[in-house]
Amino acid sequence: MSTTFDTLRTILVREYQLAPDRLTSDAALEGLGIDSLGVAELLFSVEDKFGISLPPEPLQLLTLGDVVRYIDDLLLAQKVPLHAGLSGGLQVPLEVVQRAS
Amino acid sequence: MRRVAVTGIGVVSPLGSGVAEVYRNAHAGRSAVQRLTAPFVDRLAGPLAATVPFDGADHFEPPKLRMLDRVSQFALVAANQAIDDSLVELPLFDRSRAGVFVGTGMAGTQSNDDGYRTLYGDGSNRVKPFTVLMGMHNAPAAWVAIEHDIRGPSLTYSTACSSSAVAIGEAWLRVASGSLDLALAGGAEAPLSFGSLKAWEALHTLASVDADDPSASCKPFSADRSGMVLGEGAAMLVLEPWDLAVARGVFIHGELLGYGLCTDAGHITKPSAEGQAAAMRAALQSARIDGADIDAINAHGTGTQANDAAETTAIKSVFGARAADIPVSATKALHGHLLGAAGALECVLSLLALQHGVALPTMHLQSPDPACDLDYVPNAARDGLALHTMLSNSFAFGGTNAVLVLRASNLSAASVHACLALAAAALPSVQG
Repeated sequence: MSTTFDTLRTILVREYQLAPDRLTSDAALEGLGIDSLGVAELLFSVEDKFGISLPPEPLQLLTLGDVVRYIDDLLLAQKVPLHAGLSGGLQVPLEVVQRAS
Repeated sequence: MRRVAVTGIGVVSPLGSGVAEVYRNAHAGRSAVQRLTAPFVDRLAGPLAATVPFDGADHFEPPKLRMLDRVSQFALVAANQAIDDSLVELPLFDRSRAGVFVGTGMAGTQSNDDGYRTLYGDGSNRVKPFTVLMGMHNAPAAWVAIEHDIRGPSLTYSTACSSSAVAIGEAWLRVASGSLDLALAGGAEAPLSFGSLKAWEALHTLASVDADDPSASCKPFSADRSGMVLGEGAAMLVLEPWDLAVARGVFIHGELLGYGLCTDAGHITKPSAEGQAAAMRAALQSARIDGADIDAINAHGTGTQANDAAETTAIKSVFGARAADIPVSATKALHGHLLGAAGALECVLSLLALQHGVALPTMHLQSPDPACDLDYVPNAARDGLALHTMLSNSFAFGGTNAVLVLRASNLSAASVHACLALAAAALPSVQG
């Protein structure tokens, strides 16, 4: 479990009022009531929280784990420095920071 | 054509939420117009508005709320009230024979405003993913259809200030003609964003602040009138065939008897007395009655110099010498101009006036205007009237004039009160 996952879970509990025990890595987004439109909105929050910029292309993210991997890849590709762009006391996954530095 | 009954009313307005509160305040002449409190008021020439004390979080869970502009929130809450009030059991209903008809002039203007501020003001290159869905004009109607699983037409009418009168009239046509057995019809508006207020201000149609009493700033038909005050809210009606309503044994608020519609095809903003009169005549013809049958009128009565004089001329043109004997109420003095929702709210107020046998007051009319010389029921409600049939006028920028004809159901005022009390006791509290 990465910190990215924890951050996502915090967003989903706080803003989507989802029960924490439903938020596993293999949980299907549709099953959580998050359709493609919901994913777009979720990623809008993710951009703010992680200080990354999302490409405009359509996405095929099916599970919560897919979202975590997508964010981690972007963090790596965009070389987001430690703590840059983060808000609300959220943390960048350590392994991502190490890989990006 | 079938007779059409109004069996449900929902209203979220500056005068209150629900018909009892709205009627009480309208009858008492309590103005909801006030100085606007918002971070941007210092940049407004006349910071006035008739607002609704309304927090969407009281009605919707966060995931849904994030997708709803304020205008859709109003529409949904008003529609829920109307459905509850009608006691219609939608799960037992053929919903392919039900429709939604919503009028709105400016739709999700707050969401659009937020998006533009992000782009132009903050210099961001991105806006919220729901911006289109929140701002689009058909969002309120779509959400109401989704909420109640209504599978017939879901239509949006945007004819500026006559939008919801048109929506109700077009719904009436569908129910009367037999193509639908139930319609949720009305209007919603939430125009109090900074950008919207500045745009209206630029038109020089808004009232200046009455220094002594800001709540009295909108003065329809008064010589010292200076313009209109923007308001927000929604009103929705349940329309169904009269015979079906009687068979269901539910309370009937009144009958929608006719609907007149015409276009000035003249100036984009300047009202045409000729066009307004044509719409009233068309409404009478539609209802198969004549001017002698009209007991009262809810005027468009915006409080602008141009409208109120033109409407007075139009009423005289239609009713001749009898015009002077018809009570004409301009309730916008109290609830402001709800633009696309105005016709629906004023239709509701007309139904309530018929039910109670009351001509509602035109408040803040202290200075008679020679150009406005009808009986406007100045400054105090007139009780104890035998009202059977009313017109509700709605005229618009763009020249679309819509007039609804409303008739009281045969219930006495006493039985109305008894029915309302029974309904209030039987129903759970309204949940948006």
